[in-house]
Amino acid sequence: MKKKIAFLCFGIIFGFTLSRVGASEYDLIYTMFTAENLKLALVILTAIIIGAVGMRLLILNGGKDYKGKSLEIKKKPLNKYNVYGGIIFGIGWAISGACPGTVLAQVGEGKLLGLFTMAGLALGTYIYALIAEKNHNIVSD
Amino acid sequence: MKILQLIFVEPWPWWIGGIIIGLLVPAMYYFLNTALGVSTGYGNIAKLIFPKTKLKWLNSDKFKDIFNWRFFFILGIIIGGFISARLSGGRLLIIDMGIFTQSLNWPYIAYMGWFLLGGILLGLGSRIAGGCTSGHSIHGIANLHPSSMLSTFFFLLLGAITVNLIRIFILGGV
Repeated sequence: MKKKIAFLCFGIIFGFTLSRVGASEYDLIYTMFTAENLKLALVILTAIIIGAVGMRLLILNGGKDYKGKSLEIKKKPLNKYNVYGGIIFGIGWAISGACPGTVLAQVGEGKLLGLFTMAGLALGTYIYALIAEKNHNIVSD
Repeated sequence: MKILQLIFVEPWPWWIGGIIIGLLVPAMYYFLNTALGVSTGYGNIAKLIFPKTKLKWLNSDKFKDIFNWRFFFILGIIIGGFISARLSGGRLLIIDMGIFTQSLNWPYIAYMGWFLLGGILLGLGSRIAGGCTSGHSIHGIANLHPSSMLSTFFFLLLGAITVNLIRIFILGGV
């Protein structure tokens, strides 16, 4: 239970930050892809750099969590499904003006159409489970 | 109270958002030994909607307990968005969606279908690619994983192509 509350708190920080920086704004995603406003591209780039530096420091520190347990860094498989999935995801990103994280912040903000994107995400995940039932090698994570 | 105004009302500059989101990656490993990621949690929601599903993937160990950490993380993001909007003083219910609904005059049900379609593609695509903007683009690239770089390249490429097609053919070039 303590762990679940910790995840809830990390989620709140993530959602609050996404919303405050404008990642949940349709217009900022749209203008990032038309190259009129690169604010969100800068957010993502900064997050990658800070994340990479932080991970390097953790590894230099012995690669352990605060309890002293070795970090289980989740590496996802490299295959053609990264391309197929990436293509489908990119089209969905453009249509909805959101990604799986930011749409949750949209729903919290009270954006009604975000609720439809979120319902679509659950449905798309279910469709994936239907496809994965017969094509075992698509299971990429 | 200028500082409160800057934190809770004004939109944050890109670097504050980038630093906090970036720090979540090592912080979640350090405190919870878990990779930052959102999209797998939609499996929890799918299973909430179809609790009796026999599909193997939705019955894997990941979803044994629907109310596991992924559920709480997703719930937290919604609450975080709620707190942000309440403190900045926006409307409780927002029915429009930026440039898209401002430029068009569709019946509302068509917007619902459009965003539902976008969501379906996001859900399907992130599962096939093995992650989304959080798990692949931020967590994966920060850990220098080649699969995340490849996926993110196609996220951005198809996002840019599709938005520009939407701009020309649907929004009339706004």
